[in-house]
Amino acid sequence: MIRNNIDENVVNRRTALMALGGLGVYGVLASRLYYLQVTKAEDYRALSDDNRFNFNITLPSRGRILDRSGEVLAVNRQDYRVVLIPERVKDLDGTLSRISDIIGLSEGQEKRIRKDIKDNARFVPILVENHLDWETFAALNLKTPDLPGVIPEVGEGRYYPNKGIFAHTLGFVGRAGPSDVSDDKDPLLRQPTFRIGKTGIEAAQDAVLRGSSGRLKVEVNAVGRIVREWPDPKDRAKDGENVWLTLDAELQRYAAKQFGADSGGLAVIDVLTGELRTLLSMPSFDGNLFVSGLTQADMNALNNDEKRPQYNKVLSGGYPPASTFKMTVMLAALEAGLINPADKIFCVGKLRLGNRNFHCWKRKGHGSVDMREALKSSCDVYFYDIAQTVGMDKIAQMGRRLGLGQRFDVGISGVRAGIMPDEAWKQAKLGAAWRGGDTLNASIGQGFVLATPLQLAVMAGRIANGRQAITPQLVIGEDLKEAPPLEINPDHLAFVTEAMWSVCHEPGGTAFTPEGLGIEGVEMAGKTGTGQVRGISSTERANRIRKNEELPWKLRDHSIFVGYAPYDKPRFAVGCLVEHGGSGAKRAAEITRAVLALALERDGMSRPPAEVTSEAGI
Amino acid sequence: MIALRRRGALSKLYDINWLLVSLVMLVGFIGVAMIYAATDGVWSRGAQQHFIRLSVAGIMMIVIALIDLKVWYKLAYFAYFGALLLLLGVEFFGVSVNGSQRWLDAGVMRLQPSEVMKLAVVMALARYYHDIAVWRISRPSGLLGALLIIIAPMVLIIRQPDLGTTLLVAATGFGLVFLSGVNWRVISGAFVASLISVPLFFRFGLQEYQRSRILTFLDPSRDPTGASYHITQSKIALGSGGVSGKGFMNGTQRQLEYVPENRTDFIFTVIGEEFGLIGSLITMGIYLLVIGLCIWLSVQCKHIFSRLLIMGLTITFTLYIFINLGMVMGLVPVVGVPLPLISYGGTVIMTVMTGFGLILSAHLHRKNDLPKSYL
Repeated sequence: MIRNNIDENVVNRRTALMALGGLGVYGVLASRLYYLQVTKAEDYRALSDDNRFNFNITLPSRGRILDRSGEVLAVNRQDYRVVLIPERVKDLDGTLSRISDIIGLSEGQEKRIRKDIKDNARFVPILVENHLDWETFAALNLKTPDLPGVIPEVGEGRYYPNKGIFAHTLGFVGRAGPSDVSDDKDPLLRQPTFRIGKTGIEAAQDAVLRGSSGRLKVEVNAVGRIVREWPDPKDRAKDGENVWLTLDAELQRYAAKQFGADSGGLAVIDVLTGELRTLLSMPSFDGNLFVSGLTQADMNALNNDEKRPQYNKVLSGGYPPASTFKMTVMLAALEAGLINPADKIFCVGKLRLGNRNFHCWKRKGHGSVDMREALKSSCDVYFYDIAQTVGMDKIAQMGRRLGLGQRFDVGISGVRAGIMPDEAWKQAKLGAAWRGGDTLNASIGQGFVLATPLQLAVMAGRIANGRQAITPQLVIGEDLKEAPPLEINPDHLAFVTEAMWSVCHEPGGTAFTPEGLGIEGVEMAGKTGTGQVRGISSTERANRIRKNEELPWKLRDHSIFVGYAPYDKPRFAVGCLVEHGGSGAKRAAEITRAVLALALERDGMSRPPAEVTSEAGI
Repeated sequence: MIALRRRGALSKLYDINWLLVSLVMLVGFIGVAMIYAATDGVWSRGAQQHFIRLSVAGIMMIVIALIDLKVWYKLAYFAYFGALLLLLGVEFFGVSVNGSQRWLDAGVMRLQPSEVMKLAVVMALARYYHDIAVWRISRPSGLLGALLIIIAPMVLIIRQPDLGTTLLVAATGFGLVFLSGVNWRVISGAFVASLISVPLFFRFGLQEYQRSRILTFLDPSRDPTGASYHITQSKIALGSGGVSGKGFMNGTQRQLEYVPENRTDFIFTVIGEEFGLIGSLITMGIYLLVIGLCIWLSVQCKHIFSRLLIMGLTITFTLYIFINLGMVMGLVPVVGVPLPLISYGGTVIMTVMTGFGLILSAHLHRKNDLPKSYL
């Protein structure tokens, strides 16, 4: 019995009504539960798995680049870096400023990161910073649990242990640019931490070095942290393969040391096979800088250096071969049969053609010289004279047989052909007739003639080989083609090489030194060249020609030398050019002698057997 | 009757409805187990604390039950006005947590006056209807008193802002008005009035984030990673549990931390994921037993104060469950209401167990006399 002022029945009815209503709500909740957990269970189970599993692209290790004996020229190093996955980041500004507190991001970097985020799909990891030191990386690891989507990772970065010495040949790696991505559908290229070859061997052999991507099933939690990996062996990334070069790292380092601060190019070629033992351009630049991203200051320093470190002089530099071209003129003359090598010509220091004087490097003249003596003392007047008789077309034809004016494909880009001019060339190129003076200039390797240091080495190598027209090889494993025959009369070659021997070993030879190569019983043959880069006015000639030391660096003569050794059983030929290398060919001859001596010393070495691939020899 | 009034504490202890006490403690222990699972089996990250709180609050519940109902009857208005003052205190001296000002820092402990108000408003209304004459109930004067009692705390709580508690207080209050026997004309009039006022309230009475939560609930694609992320992930957790669940401590959604707040407001997702439909229905069934038992206890009481007190507290308890489950299952917006006795959090345990203490007290003293005062 309830208090009499309120009707108990009313309260009871209302309570029952409310209880019924409550039961109704309970029924709704229970049926909703049934709907979620029974009717839709399969869908939600799938969604739950989606939540759990991601497929991440795994990157292959880039193949290494090795020298002929297996020394690493390009290798992968552990690289600590931090990436960011935009779709998992909650507050980008806050996250970036938190990261910046730890690693210090510049404004430019931040802009780059934002641009990357905009340009890529939301799930693609964006590189924030790489090459972190261990302390920074550790500090970052400590903070990242509070920063969803920020992932510190240990990746691989390209490293060139020799810094600059092989830079021009090896090239460097970098991020795939828009044109790379549009040309190549490999998903690896869209991974911002992935690097492809940009120049040199890295670019030319990219297909071999790159490998192919794998995938890894990972279980991630709500903030994108990987909590478990489900590796599947068949999904593993396929690492890139190694590339072996014919180069001899030790020899190349030694050659670079010989150059010191000088600028120029040098190639050492195996006279028998055409393999390049050294392919050096000096000065160089550190390829590692390009991998990590060049600062503006580094870039300016490289671009403003008058010695042009980035320019691959040995393959791309076209220089007047100067007197090293004289062998070509000699061989053309001998083949034409118009000149008797024993006939003497009297050099008075100049030759007049029309109203122009063509000067010999020796102002007071060589006096009476025959062909051998003319090469040994490098008499210009003698070659002016015979070139007029032989004619430019025959000379150019011989030059081309020796490799001048030809582009040698050594497997990387940037190889230039130089110029081996003849009458048709001038007509086509300049629209002017070939003149007698052009022949005279060309006969001493000046004027229109241009050659790269590589071509000079090939020229010397072909003269030394005598039978085959060897072509330069850089990458081991590419099919070696049988070199075509050289088709030059061996007697003529014997005459020319004997004269080249006298250049180095007879007093009065332009490269004579009493000690020669400095190796007991080994002699060499060679030819000097002094590449003139300025015009000498008649007034200067009348008074006194300025010595090289008095000239600004840019106007000094190029110092050139080609040669090979041993004289009697040729193994290696060298083409060496020192830009503005001072008086005469002394500098280039010095370098060549030193490099040839070491090359011969190291010749006990054999190339690695062909079937050995990746891991051997390290 | 006299013998009953004079019985000692020991025999009173015997007469407490131990079935309700055991059911309440059972729900609490389910909570301990689920918090243990939600925290990856780390005892110290909540389960232990929950257990201790449960024990302390359990003793408190019994003590409250033993105190004579007359005391609670007399305290009703004091409690109500005290809670109002505390709410006003929050308005001026409150401590802000998570962007809303709900706490009073009382040195040693922090007090949440809106929780006190949940109980106080029930006590006040129960006493109000106990005191007024029956003919006043549907008259303007009687309605006005009840309305004032309900609306004053609502205004203060919505300003904190705390939408969930505001609605809870309102629903409980109007539930009691309904139970008191207000005639149907008034009820239908109130219904029409609310149809008009709700849109106005939505536009002017709510904070931006509260509006956003409701809108997101109505159209989840508005914000896939924000508020509806909670709902989506919680539905995935429940749904992927299926009929039998993934097994205790085996929930992947839980392990991988996809469901936020799964130790507190979203703890039902752990039950649903690890024990499936069966576990969920058993949990809901135990709750239903508690609710049903409370209603049964109320029916046995002779005073309108006891009946409305029990029913009011039961309504609050039930609404907690309805709103929380509805939220977890994606039926109502995310309003931040815990699952009573199971969710981690000290304040709610204290409120709910105090409430059960009062229910037990009302039932224990069901035959005692209360003062009669007609207003």
